Amino acid sequence: MFRVDPLANPEPLIKRVYAYVAYRVGDGPDAEDLTSETFERAVRYRKSYDSSKGEPIAWLIGIARRCVEGRPPPLEHASEQVDAPDHRDLEDDALRRITLSSAVGHLEERDRELIALRYGADLTARQIAELQGAKTNAIEVALHRALGRLRTQLEAEAETPVRKSEAGR
Amino acid sequence: MRSWRRNRESGLEAELRANKPEPSHELVNKLEARVRSHRDARAGSFRVAFAGALAVGVLAALASVGGLGYAATGVDQAASTAKRVMQKHGVATLHKTAASDQYKKPRAKKCPKGMKRVRGKCKRVKKARGVRFKRPPFTG
Repeated sequence: MFRVDPLANPEPLIKRVYAYVAYRVGDGPDAEDLTSETFERAVRYRKSYDSSKGEPIAWLIGIARRCVEGRPPPLEHASEQVDAPDHRDLEDDALRRITLSSAVGHLEERDRELIALRYGADLTARQIAELQGAKTNAIEVALHRALGRLRTQLEAEAETPVRKSEAGR
Repeated sequence: MRSWRRNRESGLEAELRANKPEPSHELVNKLEARVRSHRDARAGSFRVAFAGALAVGVLAALASVGGLGYAATGVDQAASTAKRVMQKHGVATLHKTAASDQYKKPRAKKCPKGMKRVRGKCKRVKKARGVRFKRPPFTG
């Protein structure tokens, strides 16, 4: 019986794994290192992939989760390292991306993980449930709550620069 | 910021997907090359293994119908034929040539009359005396 190569089309997989890792640890060199490590392990253990257990992306995200969890703890909190964006210098898209990334970074670990899996790696609620050993309904509810907290966080971040500018006057 | 506020109920998820972090082209190219190089190496070893398996299969199929014995006999016959041909038509040496005529070993001189060569030397031959006939005695 022929084995399915999980890395047959690597480019979309690289993008999805990177997005997942970047939502977890923040966009930048740390995310790049973890993505590289994930693919190194995937190449080394590609024979262990079993297509009957799930899609290649779910297998890769499982590896990426272990890489993220196995990394040494950061010296400072990740969200504190993100500087407040200078609105004048950045394009609108880039600004939105940074604002979102910063807001996700302020969430709790569990919410960040769920958002990274759902919107970074583009996994379905069912795939996330299989990965975390939970029920699909429970994951959907948890995602809904995580999104609510993210909205609150975005609103809080949106009001902060306005207050700062008012205080400056 | 206003844009996500405007679509806060339906658009936040789309916004999260659309604005998700993207890897640099350098990273994508590097990882793609890494994955592809490993796959090519595996394909090479697979090709060698496939060729070996094919050769073994062909040999097994031939052996099952006596092809190997036939081939061995053919080789044996070819070898013996070659051996025979080489032996018969070995390197030919010519003994009667102009050179050998000119530079051949000098023949020994003939012995004078009444002499005969014995062990390289000429010796006189004794004359035959002939047979003396004597009448036998009368016995009556």
